[in-house]
Amino acid sequence: MTKVSLTVNGKPVARDVAGGTLLSEFLREDLRLTGTHIGCDTSQCGACVVHVNGKAVKACTTLAASLEGADVTTIEGLANGGLHPMQEAFKEHHGLQCGFCTPGMIMSGVDMVTRYKAEGRELTQEAIRHELEGNICRCTGYHNIVKAVEDAASKM
Amino acid sequence: MTTGIGARVKRREDKRFITGKGKYTDDVRTENQAYAAFVRSPVAHANVKSIDKSAALEMDGVIDVLDGHQLTGDGIGNIICGWAVTSKDGSPMNMGAWSALATQKVRYVGDAVAVVIAETQQLARLAAEAVDVEYEELPVVAFADKALKDGAPQIHEEAPGNLIYDWEIGDAAKADAGLAEAVHVTEMEITNNRLSPNPMEPRSAVATYDEAEDHYTLYTTSQNPHVARLVLSAFYNVAPEHKLRVIAPDVGGGFGAKIYIYPEEITCLWASMKTNRSVKWTADRSEAFVTDAHGRDHISTAKMGFDADGRITGFKVDTIANLGAYMSLFSSSVPTYLYATLLSGQYDIQNLHANVRAVYTNTVPVDAYRGAGRPEACYLVERMMETAARELGMKPAELRAKNFIREFPHETPVIMTYDSGDFDANLAQAEEAADVNGFPARREEAAKRGKLRGLGYSCYIEACGIAPSAAVGGLGAGVGLWESAEVRVNPVGTIEILTGSHSHGQGHETTFAQIVAERFDQPIENISIVHGDTDKVQFGMGTYGSRSGAVGMSAIVKAMDKVEAKVRKIAAHQLEASEDDIVIEGGEVKVAGTDKALGWHEIGLAAYTAHNLPPDMEPGLKESAFYDPSNFTFPAGTYICEVEVDPDTGTTEIVQFTASDDFGTIINPMIVEGQVHGGIAQGVGQAMLEQVIYDEDGQLITGSYMDYTMPRAADLPNFSVHHASTVCPGNPLGMKGCGEAGAIGSPPAVINAITDAIGNNDLAMPATPQNVWRAYQAASAKQAAE
Amino acid sequence: MDMTGEHIIAAPREEVWAALNDVDVLRACIPGCEELEKTSDTTMEAVVKQKIGPVKATFKGAVELENIDAPKSYTIRGEGQGGVAGFAKGGADVSLEEVPEGTKLSYTAKAQVGGKLARLGSRLIDATAKKLAAKFFDNFQKHLNGPDASEEEAAG
Repeated sequence: MTKVSLTVNGKPVARDVAGGTLLSEFLREDLRLTGTHIGCDTSQCGACVVHVNGKAVKACTTLAASLEGADVTTIEGLANGGLHPMQEAFKEHHGLQCGFCTPGMIMSGVDMVTRYKAEGRELTQEAIRHELEGNICRCTGYHNIVKAVEDAASKM
Repeated sequence: MTTGIGARVKRREDKRFITGKGKYTDDVRTENQAYAAFVRSPVAHANVKSIDKSAALEMDGVIDVLDGHQLTGDGIGNIICGWAVTSKDGSPMNMGAWSALATQKVRYVGDAVAVVIAETQQLARLAAEAVDVEYEELPVVAFADKALKDGAPQIHEEAPGNLIYDWEIGDAAKADAGLAEAVHVTEMEITNNRLSPNPMEPRSAVATYDEAEDHYTLYTTSQNPHVARLVLSAFYNVAPEHKLRVIAPDVGGGFGAKIYIYPEEITCLWASMKTNRSVKWTADRSEAFVTDAHGRDHISTAKMGFDADGRITGFKVDTIANLGAYMSLFSSSVPTYLYATLLSGQYDIQNLHANVRAVYTNTVPVDAYRGAGRPEACYLVERMMETAARELGMKPAELRAKNFIREFPHETPVIMTYDSGDFDANLAQAEEAADVNGFPARREEAAKRGKLRGLGYSCYIEACGIAPSAAVGGLGAGVGLWESAEVRVNPVGTIEILTGSHSHGQGHETTFAQIVAERFDQPIENISIVHGDTDKVQFGMGTYGSRSGAVGMSAIVKAMDKVEAKVRKIAAHQLEASEDDIVIEGGEVKVAGTDKALGWHEIGLAAYTAHNLPPDMEPGLKESAFYDPSNFTFPAGTYICEVEVDPDTGTTEIVQFTASDDFGTIINPMIVEGQVHGGIAQGVGQAMLEQVIYDEDGQLITGSYMDYTMPRAADLPNFSVHHASTVCPGNPLGMKGCGEAGAIGSPPAVINAITDAIGNNDLAMPATPQNVWRAYQAASAKQAAE
Repeated sequence: MDMTGEHIIAAPREEVWAALNDVDVLRACIPGCEELEKTSDTTMEAVVKQKIGPVKATFKGAVELENIDAPKSYTIRGEGQGGVAGFAKGGADVSLEEVPEGTKLSYTAKAQVGGKLARLGSRLIDATAKKLAAKFFDNFQKHLNGPDASEEEAAG
């Protein structure tokens, strides 16, 4: 067991974790933050995307023990009350159906918009589709997800 | 009204999903939670010689290790196939026994032989590794055509030669005669590739036995919790219905894979009783690939004859369907009544015959996957039509239009009676939206860039709104396929709708509320939809076969009719008017043409206070209904796909995808379009990317997202989705259903477009760059030789 | 896929043959081999730890020598159960030929996996098996001849 202290959704958290505990397990089982989902075993689907120190990471391939001092944001902590513009946009544009991939999609969406804005690049539809490479949705055909991210980008 | 029928109401269920507050089965954690891990066969066919649990049982944190002998010893029944298909010689289908945990023999890689129950999931998985199973390997057959060959390994003793049934529909003699008189016959061998449904949420079960009450609760990833309870009780003897509550909470996609009641759910319930612990199991993705039923997997040969005018004179199809190692719940119906009955397509074909042989192989069981049989039929018919048009030198649209059915009802030779449709309207709308007239110029422009541009059509029809109970009962179904609903108007006038349909992405919490809001002219906020819990909802047959609108909503309408009748009586009594003069309008119940009115909430209150009701009227305002459809519904449409192929690499880009659908009445266009988008994406996946691959030894070698390729955002274009609807005469709302159309209609459109681009009709799905490149090279070589 | 290879070993054929039949030598040379015990003249029990693609597993199984034509050739065959990871099977036809430099060892090897290994790792199995076969015969050559001069230089 390793003692790890980090911040999750703005709150300090300190826990003993086994060396092999993944961030996804840590969030779901230890902290009961079940909005972070596990859809595959191979880091392909992106249902588990969270932000670590402001950057999107796949929680299923991140060891909890490696996050000493880190600042983790999950879907539950994305907005401080109310909804984040990305969350609003997913609802507005029907960017979700079963909802299972949605937290990861939203976290990836926020990350890509933030990066493109910081770099001063234009987030075109083509770029959004390319940036969503690491997130699989089986329901929507991505059409409305792309629209949602595009719309949120104009409001973030 | 902005929330009624036809309004693009934003989804009410979204808030919990976008904030991470959805509650899926794996999110459930009970007191006393233990975890299950299954010991699965790594070989495709073997006798189980022994199971040594000792090492696992000695491990810390292991509660128990249970096997199939204990399971069958406790009287847990074999898994059933709920649809009896009869062979053409009159003999019943040859169904082999399937125990939730194998006792004597394993028949596919992934077949479960034991289950470990431990304190944590990790411990359970570790201990499963320590269970030592000795297998005596047997010869394997993984492919349907090989399974039928003489001397093929015998998988079930109940099915000699691995043949489950040899079934036919239509008139062979007439089809032969029709082909004989044809001036042109198009012949094709067509394979429908095997797929894995892959809802993003892996299947999961949390089973809890309450010893004091002798009662079970099962949270599970199900599209139809009541059917699960029925089957678990009546056939698997896990618990009687009144002692078993099944809850399907938020479910992360189904696509058919979550219809069935699998070995894992049965085992978890039983194990919970055995260990007196709440037992939780969640598949990892690799496990999902070998436990979720697969879809499709047909090999067909087909002949279609045409007269000099291009009219179809005869159509004959011979299909081998791979059902895997065991017969899953609805497996037998998929390649028969859900497939061959749609082989008439949108066309007036008088002479039609299909023969289907279903076979066992040493692979994962195959059952319904989005579309279920209808995509296989549509793919076959629409590839034949496009290829025939090319062979006849006709425009694909022209050949199709020449054969369109235009009068309804239309009875096909394969037992379906189409009730409505306007196929010309869908074709015209799609052609206009796709700018087909501008295609030659686009093709020329693409050629300048060194790209091959192609255009492909698909005019699909499907039978949905599954299904009239007596009709399917006559065809062998073990259940009725009606739906139930309950409408509760509370004393303050708010309304709860309890429905047997289950929503796992379809947005029922929104659309179902819309029809109620419209009917009673009430704010949608005052209406809630309850589903997915056998303790709350009276009964239900669940969600599949695009049935929730046409059947599930019809049940709600029927219950609302009863509520309205009572509302009228109460209002007429209190307002001293005739029932016939009562209207529901503007949130009030009024006497037409007067200013006499009661607020909707006043009616609710009156019903429950019962101070002033008509004589002999029962208090309360709650009605239930069961709706049994009178016919299937027949959504139809035209899809047009335009592609560009890079001849050097075989890489294909879909540059435009246009859909014109006839879904009948549309409640919420936003949601319907979303269903079409998702369906097309899965169809494009089948056409270009997805394939379950087994090797000769029956090893599944596409068991992860690194090996089984599903469409990602960059693989797809924006879709151009349109509607040209005719009202369905068969149900009160005029709905046809929209859930499967995209997956049914799109694969042939994609392949027809690619084959058009490369000039070779001989191209199998999935059209990977390698397959496309090879087909293009073959066509080029042939052209050069000529 | 068949994998073939050749090694020239600076030792007389009898000595190479003896080594090929020596449990201690085999244990030292089989990559990842943790245990190897003789159960008869031609059979052994083995525990081998291996990683194939993303799956790491401990294989317990039997090694068998067949088609023995001393001191010229034999077939070595192994089959291991990796628990939930599945199984791995492999074999090699090994032949020894006297050459002026000593002995020429030639082999043709085959490998097969099943279960989870096949689902996740089949696309990597040929490459992995090739690597393992090469490693075994490399180890074997080094065991008899010591690391060769060029390699020692490289290491130094």
